[in-house]
Amino acid sequence: MIPRRAVREPVLWLVMTLASAAACAAETPQYWLDRMNAALTSRNYDGVFSHWQSGRLETLRIIHRVQDGAVTERLESLDGSGRVFVRDGAELTCYLPDQRTVLVEQAPQSLMPAGLPKFDAALGGVYLLASQGAMRQMGEKAEVITVTPRDGFRYGYRLWIQRATGMPLRTQLLDTNGSVIEELVFSSLSMRHHIADEEFKPKLSTSGFQWLRNDDAPTVTAEGPGDWSNVQLPPGFSLTAQTAQMMPGVAAPVTHLVFSDGVATVSVFIQTEVFRNSPTQVSAGLAQVGSSSTFTSVQSGHKFVALGEVPPATVRFIIGALMNRSAPPDPAQGPK
Amino acid sequence: MSNEELESQLSAMFDDELPAPECELLARRLARDEQLRGRWGRYAAIGACIRGEPGIRLETTLAGKVSAAIKQEAAPGEVPATQRRHYGALHPWLTSLGGLASAAAVAAVAILWMRSQGPNVPQIAAVPPAPVRTPPATALPVAAPQLVSGQSPDHLRRAREADSYVIPASAAQGPALVPPTELANYMVAHSAYSGPLLRRNALSALVGEDSAAPAVTAQPIAATVVTQK
Amino acid sequence: MTADASDLSLVQRVQRGDKGAFDVLVLKYQHKVVKLVMRYVRNPAEAEDIAQDAFIKAYRALPQFRGDSAFYTWLYRIAINTAKNAVVARDRNPVDFDLDMTNTEESYEMQGRLKDSETPEALVLTDEIRTTVNAAIANLPDDLRTAIVLRELEGLSYEEIAATMDCPVGTVRSRIFRAREAIDSRLREVFEGGLGRAEEIG
Repeated sequence: MIPRRAVREPVLWLVMTLASAAACAAETPQYWLDRMNAALTSRNYDGVFSHWQSGRLETLRIIHRVQDGAVTERLESLDGSGRVFVRDGAELTCYLPDQRTVLVEQAPQSLMPAGLPKFDAALGGVYLLASQGAMRQMGEKAEVITVTPRDGFRYGYRLWIQRATGMPLRTQLLDTNGSVIEELVFSSLSMRHHIADEEFKPKLSTSGFQWLRNDDAPTVTAEGPGDWSNVQLPPGFSLTAQTAQMMPGVAAPVTHLVFSDGVATVSVFIQTEVFRNSPTQVSAGLAQVGSSSTFTSVQSGHKFVALGEVPPATVRFIIGALMNRSAPPDPAQGPK
Repeated sequence: MSNEELESQLSAMFDDELPAPECELLARRLARDEQLRGRWGRYAAIGACIRGEPGIRLETTLAGKVSAAIKQEAAPGEVPATQRRHYGALHPWLTSLGGLASAAAVAAVAILWMRSQGPNVPQIAAVPPAPVRTPPATALPVAAPQLVSGQSPDHLRRAREADSYVIPASAAQGPALVPPTELANYMVAHSAYSGPLLRRNALSALVGEDSAAPAVTAQPIAATVVTQK
Repeated sequence: MTADASDLSLVQRVQRGDKGAFDVLVLKYQHKVVKLVMRYVRNPAEAEDIAQDAFIKAYRALPQFRGDSAFYTWLYRIAINTAKNAVVARDRNPVDFDLDMTNTEESYEMQGRLKDSETPEALVLTDEIRTTVNAAIANLPDDLRTAIVLRELEGLSYEEIAATMDCPVGTVRSRIFRAREAIDSRLREVFEGGLGRAEEIG
């Protein structure tokens, strides 16, 4: 906004127009992603949004507060189940009134998305980041940013980032045909200055509820056994995490590998010594779970299950690569 | 969204000029919001006036009668009471869990606390095809919870084994290649790392009431050896 | 954007057990259905009864509705059949219209009030509503009035109206909305507290 006074001063006016022009020039797509990341992680907000996936629509309310570096969140289903999730730091409490149960467990991850990563050269090699210009969403001016995959191994995004706040008013996950397979749309959103502790309470009576606590499981080790880093992967993907955890109903620890290209993530779970009776049996299955693809293969007593928000081809590729190694790494050995 | 934006959408939807996703949102709201419905009804009356139609009503006289009449009817897709009892027989594994089997679990997603049965969890054998959805209010045989009701936070249960969220799928992925419970555990573990913007797949399924178990549509591949060049 | 998205989204909700969504559909189409039925019966009270039957039949048949046709087309057929059956049942000469969807709305012209037994109160109410709405429309700025008349009387789509009025589609949507708002606020003014009257008459 150029104040009237300044207009009468030609030099000042010129300087100011140049400055605003420079500001506009800096509004690259990455700029908008940075603003979005900052808003999601550091602002207080209170909104109602709809999550659409696989033909199903659910409405949820999120309250998010950052105070003295600590994050508190509350996610509530508005569709009748009355379920409320509250995250305070690393502890997650799930109120399930329809089950008359409260679950408490450790969950360092946020209930709401934390944004997209920086698009460096590597990421730019597999995704095209672009801006489609400004549009109105929900009556608000928003910058439309697209993240378009350069090949068929990953999905794309379209984001409506509110110019005033940086919040992603609308987010779409697009498949390889450009069709929307998942969508998140805010129907109301306010950036709150102050949110009292009171507002994070579940606001329901838990008398007579069963309380279940899950402190020490899953036993996640920082590094799981074996060296899985040397695997042929689709372009841009690399191994980003490797853990072993106990899972209910499985005696031996399950290896959990995480492969990512920076935006998309594929988890692979490996169980050893399954189907002891038929070591040579090979079977495989591909399925769609919501907007995630999953591929399972059992061979030589090992079961591999891949799961991720990627096209089916990607999970098959990764499983194939893992199974085609000369031999599965010896679990007794640590990473080299 | 401001009221004005909402009403503008209402006007567009009335003219069938609103995109499908927004229609679904608004339809949900309309069904609940009396004020909004009143406005919708007045839009209809305005149109009728312009066209010179007879018998214009502002209030929902006719609609009120229809509404009263259909209240007596079963909701579309609702299973008549006589049939509901059979669900217990179809899902013995549900009721055997000393936990939280409920009506919702049969037809839609439910969160089951599955106490580990030891190292070998009974395989979920023939998973029946997706049953007819029943509204959560319908009564189903509910297994008595093992814990005494009235338990307070002071008596927190500690899990011996890793308890987890279990989301029963409406159909199995092939003959128990990945039992639904196992798949659900994987989804929860994956959600800690999954796509930054939409990582809440598993969580939203847990929070949402009738986000039925993610439809697991199996595309079985006959036993093949997966080769890689 | 799928055609018929508005109706389909409501139909889907009904099919999932939400009866309230059916009310919304009835609200939208009650006048059209009554008008349609009145080709077969002159008595408005009777027409309303038949229309009510038609809606209930539609509700029961809704699980079978697949979206092969537009919802209103489907409802229309049910209404016609219900009306014909009602007339036949009363042993009058069945009126045999060879009705074509394209000329249904235009071919039936309803001028002035019906002589046969519309109750006086109902008549008054209809006239009052019509007077209020017509006055409000007359007071609208030209562009708003044109937009809403093109939409409601001529049945043009937003795109067609945009072409006719030589303006963007967004402007059409906005004009129609603002026209409705202006008329609606006048309606609420006049009938505030009086809206209950219609309930008593029913």
